[in-house]
This record gives sequence, structure tokens and C-alpha cells, in this order.
Amino acid sequence: MKKTVLTVIGVICAAIVFANGGQYEKAMAKNIPAMFQAGDAESLLGAINQLNRVGDAEADKWEPYYYAAFGYIRMIAMTESAEEKDKYLDQALEIIKKGETIKPADSELESLRGYVHMMRVTIDPATRGMQYSGLAFNSFNKAIALDANNARAHYLLGRMQFGTAQFMGNGDGGACESFAKAKSLFESGSNTENQFAPSWGLDSTKEAMQQMCEG
Amino acid sequence: MKVFALFLLLISGMYAFAQTSISGRITEKSGDPLLGVNVFIEGTYDGATTNMEGNFRIPIEGSDSITLVATFIGFHDYKIRLKPDINHELTIILKEKISKLNAVVITAGSFDASDESKRVVLKSLDIVTTAGATADIPGALNTLPGTQTVGETGRLFVRGGEGRETKTFIDGMIVHNEYSPSAPNTPGRSRFSPFMFKGMSFSTGGYSAEYGQALSSALILQSKDIAELSRTDLSFMSVGVDAAHTQSWENSSFSGKIQYTNLTPYFKLAKQNIPWDKAPEEYNGNFAYRLKTSKTGLLKFYTNVSSSRMDLFEEEIGNPDVIHPIGVANDYFYFNVSYRELVSEKWGVKTGFSFTESRDMLSRGAESIDDEISGRHGKLVLDYTHSDRINLKFGGELLVRKGDEVLTNTAGSLTNDFDEYISSGFVEAETFASSALAFKTGMRVEHNSLTGDSFLSPRVSSAYKTGEKSQVSVAWGIFSQTPSTRITYFVNDADPEISEHYIANYQWQGEGRSFRAEIYHKDYSQLTRYQDEFAPSGYRFDGEGFAQGLDLFWRDTKTLNNTDYWVSYSYLNTERNYRNYPGAFTPSFVSAHNFSLVGKRFIESIRSQVGLTYSYASHRRYNDRNSDKFLSGRTPDYHDLSFNISYLYSNQIIVHAMVNNVLGINNIYGYEYASEPDLNGYYAGKPITPPARRFVFVGVFITLAKNKSISQLPNL
Repeated sequence: MKKTVLTVIGVICAAIVFANGGQYEKAMAKNIPAMFQAGDAESLLGAINQLNRVGDAEADKWEPYYYAAFGYIRMIAMTESAEEKDKYLDQALEIIKKGETIKPADSELESLRGYVHMMRVTIDPATRGMQYSGLAFNSFNKAIALDANNARAHYLLGRMQFGTAQFMGNGDGGACESFAKAKSLFESGSNTENQFAPSWGLDSTKEAMQQMCEG
Repeated sequence: MKVFALFLLLISGMYAFAQTSISGRITEKSGDPLLGVNVFIEGTYDGATTNMEGNFRIPIEGSDSITLVATFIGFHDYKIRLKPDINHELTIILKEKISKLNAVVITAGSFDASDESKRVVLKSLDIVTTAGATADIPGALNTLPGTQTVGETGRLFVRGGEGRETKTFIDGMIVHNEYSPSAPNTPGRSRFSPFMFKGMSFSTGGYSAEYGQALSSALILQSKDIAELSRTDLSFMSVGVDAAHTQSWENSSFSGKIQYTNLTPYFKLAKQNIPWDKAPEEYNGNFAYRLKTSKTGLLKFYTNVSSSRMDLFEEEIGNPDVIHPIGVANDYFYFNVSYRELVSEKWGVKTGFSFTESRDMLSRGAESIDDEISGRHGKLVLDYTHSDRINLKFGGELLVRKGDEVLTNTAGSLTNDFDEYISSGFVEAETFASSALAFKTGMRVEHNSLTGDSFLSPRVSSAYKTGEKSQVSVAWGIFSQTPSTRITYFVNDADPEISEHYIANYQWQGEGRSFRAEIYHKDYSQLTRYQDEFAPSGYRFDGEGFAQGLDLFWRDTKTLNNTDYWVSYSYLNTERNYRNYPGAFTPSFVSAHNFSLVGKRFIESIRSQVGLTYSYASHRRYNDRNSDKFLSGRTPDYHDLSFNISYLYSNQIIVHAMVNNVLGINNIYGYEYASEPDLNGYYAGKPITPPARRFVFVGVFITLAKNKSISQLPNL
């Protein structure tokens, strides 16, 4: 009997811990992969919405906003309409700004801003090249200035460099150098203090190197 | 045992709490479900996302009353207080935010070009890439419907209005003498580079009550905000050189551009019809400074300084042995400061001041005109946003214009001047009945110190979305403008010219394609009439006229791969009884049919953007002095085919070339006649033609930037 009582108490205690202390970790652990893996608008919006709720409920966490914004960038692949794509990118920028009120001048958030600009170019390269490619480069360079060891900033810069060089029809524009730098940073170590700090990018970098720099 | 029972009770109690839930369905006003709405309990992680049917379900715990929030991009947030201890079944209708993205836009009369708004028919870049436009704003706008090809001026003649009836505004402030000077019967260019602007609205009628002193058309230009990138640009062109630098700081930026233009080398290579003594030469400086004064405040300064000069010879018509030296010189200074700030969430303020000083010196033999116009414009506009459905704008402005001219001939000289103060106030309300139906109602009152009269200009417009891609729009308004400076010099209190516009427009915009059709009718009154322009005692201010027509526009960036084209057609039927007309006649600057086909294509294999523009205008009238009938002469139809190419040599270097009138068609704009008949009573005539059949331009544009990836590419 006593055992049963103890078990019940144990379960309740676990539930309480769950409800308070572990809630953030659990929500992040579930929704970050959900955001990256979502294959349709419904499940992606579901993950984004949950990340936004976590961000709104936690006053001092910028990470939920980082992934929510990333989710909105992913949303542009779910629609054909340029107007809709812009709407999602506008929203991504809004969320990045929310993150920056918690952590100003952050290299990861700045890289993500550059990512948004880069995606704007892809919607209408002919008329947007000027404005947004410059802005994207600016953001990636700024992100690297804020943290030279941010592998994602180097990877994204490489993609922008390659795209521009391809358009001009000459070389890689320094992209392979950026990718190599990103790869070595990815491999040399990861952030251990913060389990939810952005860590994506190694596979994409390898893939980019394979496609753009080898062969 | 008792303790255990208590626990069981407690747990089952918790279980019971967990059983309650909020479920429901979220839709738009139309009843269509919304997918992806974030529905949650405020301050918690608890929530759900609506599915395809708009349904959601949130289990709830706890007993304190809670706030349920529903948020979705493009819609107003929805909040409701709920008791948690019972199940809720809700039907929530989210109210659409009326934003730039979804709201119907009143398009009657106006063509908007912008980099920001996605729903415009044109982009700012189009100005630069249009063949035949020579990177001149009016040049590119002349390929749009509603405009008339008047090749000998290069100005915007809109819907039966003269060139002076189109007024230019930069950041809301008026610009006087916006065209660079040119030799008689040769086209002038706008003084303002298209690169300066992030957006423009070219209104061919029915524009906002904020703008006055424009009888037919308003060209409203918005200058760029703070530059985000530093760069240096150098250009070497067949007509001159320029150097520009932009420096960007955290909260401010400075841009400067210095240009030197000299057509002497070009005229040596390409034969001109005009015997030049000194080909046009111009020094031009543009400087802009922008300062972010707060999160929402922006202060802008802009100034343009230029000086130009040209001399040529003119053979007397019918008597080519007599040659008159002609001199054209101009000194120009324009300064504009504007400031905008959001005072609170609902109140915005915009204010500005502009200053223009322009001196034209024209001489023909012993005759000369020295004309100095100085303008000042101060303006304050308040903007009140009651909600996303009601917006109120009101303000006041003072337009001061002083003119001093000295007319000199062998008999002596004559001095004229005027000093005009126009004070005005306006109010305009924009209301949205829904995102599909909008109204704009405005009133403008102007008081002119010279005439002592006040004038009321009511203006109304409305737009209704007839479908996802289509809309209809209508506009009506009354517009006024002081007569030309020539008339004002002679009769200071000349009555203002008045026009009344009626416009109906249909627009369809699909992905990459758009179509517009517009019909209009305009009535003119109080136009100045005279027997002799130089006999002001005979001036009468009772001239009348009308203009009506149809404008069509089709643009397609999608059907043909990498190719963008547009087609414009305008039909214009207009008559005026003004100036020295013996009755109502179609003026000589009018052609009934105008057509343009503009094509652009990026050819990847040669890394070049090429453009081709064909323009057609039906015949124009001219006054044949050898005929008894007034304006009985007819010019041949006008044709022009222009070509341009921009080659991206590298990230930093672009080579641009263009040829206007590739086919070398001999266009005739009209005829001029000798002032006296010859011995047989015949007036000798001379056609007015372009100074050369073709115009060829070649330039190399180099960009130096810290970041090597920025190029002028964009500038194409």
C-alpha cells in the first residue's frame, strides 16, 4: 500500500517538475525538430505557433523566436504566390526583431536576417537583386563581425557569393572558401552550454561543397 | 487508507480539470476556414494550431479564469476571457487587417512605381531599363498610356494638357523648372536622376487633395531613405563623366554625385542638324543627407545645383544668309528638407520646406530674356489613423513664387515681375468599408494673393475589388493652376485655369501580368485667350476646352521566358479655345493615337540586358501660314524604334549602350514659318525635326565598394 502511495506521490512530483522546470526543455526538444522536419504547411505552422507561444511565455529566451523565424522562412516553400512568400518573410523579420529585444546584436539572429534577404532575391531576382543582395551580404558580414566563429554565417555567405558569381558567370566568388571555413567551424566544436543554440548547417555545407566546389 | 482515498480524489479532480477543453472553429468573415491560426492561452505554452477545416482543441487545467488568444498573419488578434471549469465550443471570426498587402488601392488616374509594394504595375528600375528613355523619368513615363509624344520638348504632356500642366513633387514638396534647359525645339531632360527615388506615383488625373497647382497631372516622387550600403561609383560616358559616393552610418547616410556633361566630342562625331557654336555643357551636383532622428523619425536633406550653357546659330527661315546667334544658359539651385515622425500610434506628422532658384538667360541676336524664378514651399501635414479602416490627413502649405524678367531688344528693355503667395489648406479622409471597398474624400482650398480670390477643389475617389485580381476605380475632382509665367508677368492677377476630371478605371493583376483600361473626360475653363500674346490689355480669361479618351495598358513578365514587355495605347479627343485660337481646335501638341511597345530581355549567354521600344503617334496639327484655315497642317505620323543593351563585364563594371531611332526615320514635329511673306506672298516654312536622326550613347559604369559583391547590376 505504502508503495502505491509513494508511486502516486512520485508521479505527481514528476508531473509538477514536468509542468514547471522541464516544460521549456521539453517544448523545445519537441518543436525544433518538428519545425525542421515538417513537410506541409499545417504541421510547419503548428511547430511555428508552438515556438512562438514558448517565446511569448518566456521573457528571457531568444531561441524560440530564432526557430519560429526559421520556420517562416521555410514556409515560403509551401506556397507559389510571391505575395504570400513576402508575407512570411515579413513575419520572419518581425520575429527576429522580437528575438533581438531579448538578445541584441546577436550573430545568429543577424545571419537569419540575411537569410530572409537572400530569399527575397530568389522571389524576383531581376528587380530585387540590387536592394536585397546587398542587404544579405551586409547581414552576413555583420554576423561574422559579431562572431567570427559562427559557422552558419559563413555557410550562408558562401551561398550568396556563389549565387552572385553564377549570375555573373565567373567562378565561385569566394564561396568555396566560405564553405570550407564553415565546415571547419562546424567540426571543431559545438556550443555545449546552450543545448538549444542553433546547430544546423553541417550537412547543408557538405552538400553545397559537393555540388558547387567539387567536380 | 484514508490518505490514499484523498489522493485518489485529488488525482481524479485533476483528471476532471484536464478533461475540460476549449474547442472550436476559426474562419474569415466570409466563412472560409483559416489554416494555421495560433490559438493559445495567454502567458502559457498551451495552445493549438487550426487545421484545414479551421478546427482546434485545447485541453485545459487549472481553475483561474484564462484569456484565450487567436493570432494569425494579416488578421487582428482575437482575445476572450473564459472560465476554465467548463467545456467551451467557440466559433471565432477573425477580422482581416487592412494593410498595404490586401487593401484595395485607388488606381483611377495613377500609375505607381515602387520597389517596396509588390502590387505596382512598374518598378523604379523600369525607368532605367526602358529603351529610348535615356534613363530619364519623363522619358520612361512617356511609354505609358495617357501621355503624348511631343518629341521637341521631352516633357510630359498628359491627356490633352500642356507640358506645364504636369507638376513634379519630391517628398511632397514642389519643384519649379524641373527640366534642364535645351536649345529651341530640342528635348530637355528631367534634372532628377531616377536612382534617387524609391517610389513614384505618376498621376494622369484625379490626384489627392494634398497636391495643388497642377491642372492635368502630378508626378509624385519619394526619395530614398537612409542608404544601407557604402559605395563609390564612377561613370565614363560619351556625353560626360560623373562620380558618386554614398557613405552609410548606423543612423544616417550621405550621398553625393558630381556630373560634368559636355556634348562637344559627341557632336564632332555625329553630325547634327543644328550649327552649334558651343555644344551643351553642364556642371551638376546632387547631395543628400538622411538622419534617423528616432525609431520612427526621419530627416532628409536634398540639394541640386547646376549650371549649363550652350550657343548655336539659327538661320532665318526663308532667308538663310541671315544668321542669328542663340544663347541658352541656366543656373539652378534646389533645396529640399523634409521630416516625418510618428508622434504616437495614431498621429503622424510630415513637414517640409523647399527652395528653388532658377535663372534662365536666353538670347537671340540683340534680343534677350533674363528670367529669374524663385520659389519657396513650406508644408505641414498631419496624419491621424483612427483605425485600419479610417485615416484622416490634413494640412496646410504656403507656396511663394517670385518672378523677375528683363526683356531686351534693340528698342530698349522692359522689366516684368510678380510676387505670388498661394496659401492653402486641405483635408482628406480615406475610409475602408472593407478590404475590398475604399473611398477617398478630400477638399482643398487655395487663396492666391495676386488675384485675391479663394478657390475650392473638392476631390473624390473610390475603388472596389471585383475579384481576387480585378478591381474598378473611379475619381472626380476639380483642379486649378495659375496661368503660364508669360501671362502672369503681364497680368499679375490673371484668373487661374480650371479643369474638372472624371475617370473610370478597370485593373486586373495576375501573377506577372497586368491589364488596365481607363476612360476619362475633362473640362477646362478660365483658360487665357488673346489676340496677341504681347498685348496684355486684350487678355480674356474665358477660354474653354475638353479632353476625353481611352487608355489601355498590358504588361506581361511571365509568358515569354526572361522577357518582360508592355503595350500602351491612348486615344485622345480634345479641343481648346484658348490663346489666339479663333475657336475650338485640337492643339498642335496633340496626336489622337499614341502607342508604345516596350520589351526587355536578359540574355544569360552574353550576360546582357537588352531593351527595345517602339513608339508611334498619329499626325499632329500645325498652323500652315500659307493656308487661310487655322491649324490646318498635318505632320506625318511619328515612328521611333530605340534599342539599348547593358553588358555586365564583371561585378563592378557595366557597359551600357543605346541607340534612339535605330531606323533613322525622319520625324517631323511641326513647321515653323518666316515672319514675313516673300515677294510672291508665300511664307517660307521649315520643319521642326530632332537635331539628329539618331542619338547614340555609350557609357562605362564602375562601382567600387568595400564589399566586392555589390555591383551596379542592380542599376540596370
